[in-house]
Order: sequence, then C-alpha cells, then structure tokens
Amino acid sequence: MKQYPTSTEVDFVVIGSGAAGGIMAKQLSIAGFSVVVLEQGGWGKYGREHEYNKDEWLARNVSEEDRLMSDPSRQRNTFRRNDKEKATRGNHSYGCVVGGGTVTYGGSSWRHMPWEFREATYDPTIPSGTGMADWPITYEELEPYYTQAEWEMGMSGLRVDSPFVAPMTKDYPVPPVPLKSSGALFNTAAVKLGLTVVPGPLAIITKPYLGRSACVNCGICSGYGCQVRARSSSAVTMLPLAEKTGRCEIRVRSYVREISVDNIGRVTGVIYFNAQKQEVRQRAKAVVLSANGSESARLLLLSKSARFPDGLANSSGVVGKYLMVGNGASASALFEHPLNEYKGVISGAGIVDYVGSDPKRGFYGGGRLTARGYLTPLDLGLDGLSPDAPRWGAGYKKALREEANHRMTINCFVTQMPLETNRVDLDPDVKDEWGLPAMRITSTSHPDDFKNMEFFRKKSIEILEAAGAKKVWAPPINDTRGGAHNRGTCRMGNDPKTSVVDRYHKAHDVPNLFIVDGSSFVTGGRNHPTMTIQALAFRAADHLIQNAKKGAIRSSV
Amino acid sequence: MGTKRRSRRSFLIDSAMGLNAAWVAANYPGILAAQQFVRTATRKGELPRLAVFTDAQAAEVEAITAQIIPADETPGAREAHCVYFIDRALTTFLKNSQPAYIQGLQDLQAKTRQLYPDADKFSALTPEQQIKILTEIEKTPFFNMVRTHTVIGFFARPEHGGNYEKIGWKLIGYDDSLNHKPPFGYYDAQPQPGHLVVKE
Repeated sequence: MKQYPTSTEVDFVVIGSGAAGGIMAKQLSIAGFSVVVLEQGGWGKYGREHEYNKDEWLARNVSEEDRLMSDPSRQRNTFRRNDKEKATRGNHSYGCVVGGGTVTYGGSSWRHMPWEFREATYDPTIPSGTGMADWPITYEELEPYYTQAEWEMGMSGLRVDSPFVAPMTKDYPVPPVPLKSSGALFNTAAVKLGLTVVPGPLAIITKPYLGRSACVNCGICSGYGCQVRARSSSAVTMLPLAEKTGRCEIRVRSYVREISVDNIGRVTGVIYFNAQKQEVRQRAKAVVLSANGSESARLLLLSKSARFPDGLANSSGVVGKYLMVGNGASASALFEHPLNEYKGVISGAGIVDYVGSDPKRGFYGGGRLTARGYLTPLDLGLDGLSPDAPRWGAGYKKALREEANHRMTINCFVTQMPLETNRVDLDPDVKDEWGLPAMRITSTSHPDDFKNMEFFRKKSIEILEAAGAKKVWAPPINDTRGGAHNRGTCRMGNDPKTSVVDRYHKAHDVPNLFIVDGSSFVTGGRNHPTMTIQALAFRAADHLIQNAKKGAIRSSV
Repeated sequence: MGTKRRSRRSFLIDSAMGLNAAWVAANYPGILAAQQFVRTATRKGELPRLAVFTDAQAAEVEAITAQIIPADETPGAREAHCVYFIDRALTTFLKNSQPAYIQGLQDLQAKTRQLYPDADKFSALTPEQQIKILTEIEKTPFFNMVRTHTVIGFFARPEHGGNYEKIGWKLIGYDDSLNHKPPFGYYDAQPQPGHLVVKE
C-alpha cells in the first residue's frame, strides 16, 4: 500500500472508512488525488475475509484486536433523556473497523422514497415545533447515484412498480435473496390483508459479482464479518479499489482528535492519536469527514479554535443537533411447522404499505415491517424463548425443542422526527480513553414517534395473526438511545444559519471541509440509512472531484 | 480457586476404589454419566482436565447444570460437558467469575444442609430435592450466572469444551454447516401466491 510521510501535504484526508468514507476514498483516489484514510478501528480481516469466524462465544468475548464495533468502555459515551437530567453511562456503539458498519450490518439497502426529501412542505400530518425540513436536493438528483451505488457496491433486490417503493431507472445487478419461511408467511398475511410484500434490497450478492462469490446463506450474518465476501461492505468493494490506485493509504488505529485550521479559516490537516496514543499531525489540502452521524459532530465540537470557538463549522450552532438515533417496534410468533429462520440473511422480505404517513392515523409517521427470525443458538438459549417459557429445567428444555425453528419476528423500521433538543454534544465530566470529552447523547422522541411505534407494534401482531401464528407476543415499545443508525447532526441545507453543510456537503463555514455521512440527513427516512448515505457519497464525490480538478482544493502553504 | 489439577478419571478411580463409598452410592447416576463421558472422551483421545474447579466443586456445578438442562429422552447439560466449558472459561473469558463460584457453592452447601441436614452435598441429593433447592435460589445472581454459563456451554461451538458432540445444536435442530439452500423451512417450500408486484 502507498505510504505517505506525515510531513507530506496530501490532497485529502478522509476521516472514517465506512459507508461514506470508503466511497469517498475510492472515488477521490481513482480521480488522481492523493488520499490518506484515517480509521480509528483496526483492519478486521481486511483482504483475508475467509478468516472471519462464526463463533458466537468468541464474538461475545472479542479481543480489542478483533473488534468490529466500537467499545463503549473506550469510546465512552453518556446518555440523558433531556437537559434536566444528569447523563449516565451510555451504550452507544457503531462499526469501528476498516469498512465501518458495512462490515457487520444486516445489509438493508432501501432507497428513500422521492417524497421523503420534501415531506416537510406537503405532509399535513407533521406537527408544528419539530425540526422537520425539506432537503436541499431532490430524489431525481440523487437517483443516478443510487443506481451507481447499487451497481458499484453490489446490491441484490427486485425492481418493483409500487407506490410504496422508490422508482428505479435500472434493475438491481443481482436478483433478490431467496424467499424465507418468514417471507412466505408475510405473503400469506398480505393476501388476507391486502398488503404488499417485496424482497428486501440487500447489500448481499446472490450471484458471483465483480470478483466476489455469492451468499451461501450461512445464517450467522448481522454482527459478524462475511467469510465469503458476499456482503458488499466498503472493505470488499471500495477500499481495495482505492488501494489499487497506489494513491490511497489506509491508516488504522488512528483516532482523530482535531481538524486543524489556519488563521483564515481553512482546514490545514488533522491531529490524531496513533495506536500508541502518540499525537500525529497529517497535513492535507482538504478534509472529508465521514466519521458517522454522531462522531462527525463530536469531532467538529472538539475542534475549537480562536476562529471557531463553538466548534468547527458551527457558526449556525446546529452542529450536533437534530440527532436521530433510530426507532422501531417488533413482535414475534410461533408457527406450527418449522421455519428454520436461522438459515439465510437476517432481513428477507418487507411489508411496505405503511411507508408513508396517513392523516387517518392521527399522527405523523411511517415505516417498513421486515420479516426476520434470526436467532442463533446462543441467542435462542439465553433469552430467545417466548416470554412465559421456563428459564431452566425440564420445561425450559421442552420449550427449546418446541420453539426453536418455529419462530419468526417482525422488526419495524420507522420514522423519528428531528428535534432541536435531541443532540450530540461533549460531556462536561466524562472523558474517553484518549482523555477527550466523551460524547453525550440527549434524546427523547416526539410523542408522535411513540404513537407511530405503537401503530407498528399492533400492525405486526395483526400480520402475524393473519399469517396463522399459534402464539404471538410483542415487547412494549421504547425509543432508542444510540446505535449505528445515528443521523442528522450536521444537517444539509441552503441557509448557513440553519444548516451545517451545503447541498454538496461542503461546510458552509469552511471552504475545504466536506462532511459526508449520515450526519448530513435532514430527515431520517424510515430508519434504513445506508443506501442513501452511499448515494450521497457518490454524488458528493462527483461534485468535489469536478471542483478540485478546477483548482478549488489548493495548498494552504 | 484451589487448583487441584487432577483428571476426572483419577477422581472416578478414587471413588470407585471405595475411598468414599457412601458418596459413590449417593451419586451413582451421576457417576455413570461421568464414566460414560470419560469413556467417550478417552476414545476420542481428549480427556479434559479440570483447571479451576476441584473435583468436588465440579461435581456440584455439574449437578446444577444437569438440572438447568436435564437429560430426558435426549442428553442434557451434563452429557454436553457444560461443566468443562465453565471450568475452562473460568481461566479465560470468565476469570472474574471465579470468586462468585466459590462463594455461590459455599452458599449452596449451606442451603443444602439447612434443608436436608443429613446431606453433605447438593450433588448427593435426589433430583426432586435438587430442584427444590434451585427453585428457592433461582432469583439469586449465583443461579442466574450458572444458568447463563450452562446455556452458553450447551450452545457455543464445541471447541470451547461444551456442546459435546453437538448435543445442544441437535436439541434445537441447528445445522451448523454454514451453507444452506432453499427451501429453508416448511412455509417457503409451499406454492406462493405470487402477488409480488414485479416490473416487467
């Protein structure tokens, strides 16, 4: 791999190597620019993915070296419901390895609906006083980049003509994953209830594609690295191409603590801690910040300077605000015959009829119901039986025998409105392992979000019953406190007073800083963010490359 | 924890030679199971050694695991070597749990003597007596810990010392080939309504 001396001023430093960072690094280096990618995690099994194991016990006791997710005991974070509470230790965690969250995610790759970019204008169900706003871009502008992402990364799915699915100009490159029994039961319910089932679009290839082999339906999927390289992560799609240009260096265990600026307010590079926790400065003509929907905001807030006393790119005061962490609802059921849901991908089919908001429901909200049943042996044994099953003894064993493979679960992915009060900032007391102020999350969903979650919980029960379930249960709803779907903290907009980045992801306040990841989201979609992050990244890269070639990115020296 | 590194086999030989005849009589079913285990282990050339538990402690823990997932028409936690999983894990990932096991086993013995003054060991009780004691302590952190570790030992990959001969996976019909082809289950093997909206 190309290695740059830290004294060299490279064209771009890209912070983060996940869904957005991987694409930015690949596009920029192929376009001829010198790129250093700084990834706070390790290599994982990058380039030797066959070494990923499917050992549930090891996965629960993973060494620091082999971790694929951040460690809340090192990347410390705190949580509070509202400003009146004192924040306590949180469990917020996200992908933290070369390839980021795409290395381990379930792979759901739903596009946003066209109207999701301009809901705030026309949807009468949106209550007042929220941060709902229109995006400064349209679906039509983004559509070619969705297609590009689907074909360059390798997404499987079925192009369908439905008012509940975003229209596509091109088919998926490979067919959808095979129907699972949970999907077949969705079909049964959908016929009875008049609903629409579609196979989930997934970042998992079902046929050999671009030199990678097809999914073997191993069943130990989400949360684990893919041994056969069928999951289309940044680590097996984008980063190898970036590396091959000879212009891109990926530096692991590089924990950025500051994006530095000069006295005219241009970014000059970054300061990061290397694996030995020594400070290293890397100079760059421009910085692409793709650290994820929560860490990108935190890094800006950490990057205080005389010129930017409230944090970099934060003249609006909006950095960190409008955080959306992702809401859901679920229900589970037992059926007479075996489903064997542990085989195959985690998220097979979706019911999509409730993706939009409906004034008849009396609140704002929408979402998708996805068919799952994914319980690996340890998950099943520890806490996976129906709620009234015995926890030990002869009855426990009987329940294990009877319930295993007879269960399916519906997981709903639903709206969460952006609220100014929900945010990421710096904890005044707690420090992370590097001695930096820990991330503090303040979040309580809007009352309509709770009503919407309850709506989806009840729908899930109705669908399972219509599918012929013998027994149905659904845990009480609650909103989320963190996790990999974090979005919205550096929102995109045309007005520098109310947004952090412009329609091409350039920071309003800083001409050579580009923030590209879930933090750019204005509204949250239906809590399936990755496909849109990827499309945004391809679009941002296109525009950035055009301008950089015209000389917009220049040395600060 | 007192690390008395003795193989399970030498432990059984001591017992069988009459060193503790009363204990042998009381534990006959357990010993049969253990002997079966040793035979099988020996046949496979992998006689597990206890690293943390003394033989007496292992017998107690094994008796608890055998009530958490009992043998019926199919093998349970004892046959799946859950105690060996726990013993091995206490040297590695569960090292911090060693004191909790020592204390928990002492409390268990006290409880045993309180309810059954003639008995010396939990493992010497009848299954009904064991279930009665475990039901009384089922809300305690100790029981929940052993329950968790037993379940993990039963279902984790066999190389960790439990799930012997995939006993746990067989119980739940889990095929660990990591390579599956549709149809996966009963319902997806049935004719489908074909109402998916497909773009021509």
